[in-house]
Amino acid sequence: MSEHDEWFEQVAQVLREPVRLDPSFDRRVMDEVARSPAPGSRLRVLELRRPFAGRLPLASPLGGAALAAAALVGVLIGRSWLAQGDTGAALSTPVAATVGVAPVQFVIVVPGASSVTLVGDFNDWSRTATPLEPAPSDGVWSVTVPLQAGRYRYAFLVDGSRWLTDPSAPRTLDDDFGPPNSVVTVGAT
Amino acid sequence: MTMLQRMCGMVGIAALFVALPDPVGAQEPRLQGRLQDAVRVEVDALLLQAREAGLPTEPLVDRALEGASKGASGERIVAAVRRLAGELETARDAMGQRARPEELAAGASALRAGAAPEDLSRLRGYRPDQSLTVAVAVLADLVAVGVPVDTAVAAVLVLAGAADDADYIAFRRSVERDVALGASPVAALGVRLDAATAVAEGILDQGAGRTPTAPRKP
Repeated sequence: MSEHDEWFEQVAQVLREPVRLDPSFDRRVMDEVARSPAPGSRLRVLELRRPFAGRLPLASPLGGAALAAAALVGVLIGRSWLAQGDTGAALSTPVAATVGVAPVQFVIVVPGASSVTLVGDFNDWSRTATPLEPAPSDGVWSVTVPLQAGRYRYAFLVDGSRWLTDPSAPRTLDDDFGPPNSVVTVGAT
Repeated sequence: MTMLQRMCGMVGIAALFVALPDPVGAQEPRLQGRLQDAVRVEVDALLLQAREAGLPTEPLVDRALEGASKGASGERIVAAVRRLAGELETARDAMGQRARPEELAAGASALRAGAAPEDLSRLRGYRPDQSLTVAVAVLADLVAVGVPVDTAVAAVLVLAGAADDADYIAFRRSVERDVALGASPVAALGVRLDAATAVAEGILDQGAGRTPTAPRKP
């Protein structure tokens, strides 16, 4: 066994040891889960999607380290999943079903973009009226738009020249002008 | 020229101004600066025709603005607006004179997706007092993800008796999710439709006395 192998084995032994968490950790996590709203409402979904808004319940330094390691793995997996080239990848399905005006979040992943705008029926197809904001994560852009019940056609305009559909929304079949559109349907009940 | 003749002349000119359509008022202000003048005149004429026919003009304006935003030629913009106006009229004939503008816009999309006017009429028959906007939009969306139009129409009609808008949206999202995970569109639709109808029947079995129109979530 080489020196490197021994070193790796030592590291592996440390990692194999069970993580000792604060006895109250599980209870506090479950209490937090119980307090969280049940899914189903678009507003609650938006709340959960707010980046870096949540607080991790760290019970002990070791537990915190374990959670941090898990989070790091999650971030790495997520980044590789999101990096789907320059065709864009959406994180959310912009569909809502609420009474009256519903806030609908539009999200798209466009690595390397300088600007992304949302262009559609709801803003008179203005190329500048509804810019998306970049998130801390590379290439993630989002905007929330209040929409009344109805069906809206839209597309993303990247760097003022490249049209992209929303990969997580249905595409329209009535594209008369070349670049296709996506569609969002907001229910009235 | 006598005073009377002069007065008659002034009244005639005034009447002429009242009788003639106001060219400025007939124009859609949102098209100003977005379309070339000649194209704008043609689109305004189509909007006027639609208005006189009792059709909603908002979808037509949106279509023209979309063309302008995407840099389409004037000829193409006018053709698209004209085609959409025809689809709106067909949808209105199928869905009834009282159909709301958003229903007609969704109906036009469904027609473009391949639905027949008779399909829209049947759907109206199932839901005479409810908005068809979401149901018809879901029909078009299902076709867009690859469900054959006849199958999509059948599914939307099956759900029409008990589903509300939220049910339709949830149904469509489930089918889309299954398709994204690799299921064939027809298989995904079939499975989700079976599940939705089973849930609806279960609720009806459990709730003696409940009305069939009570909201149910598949």
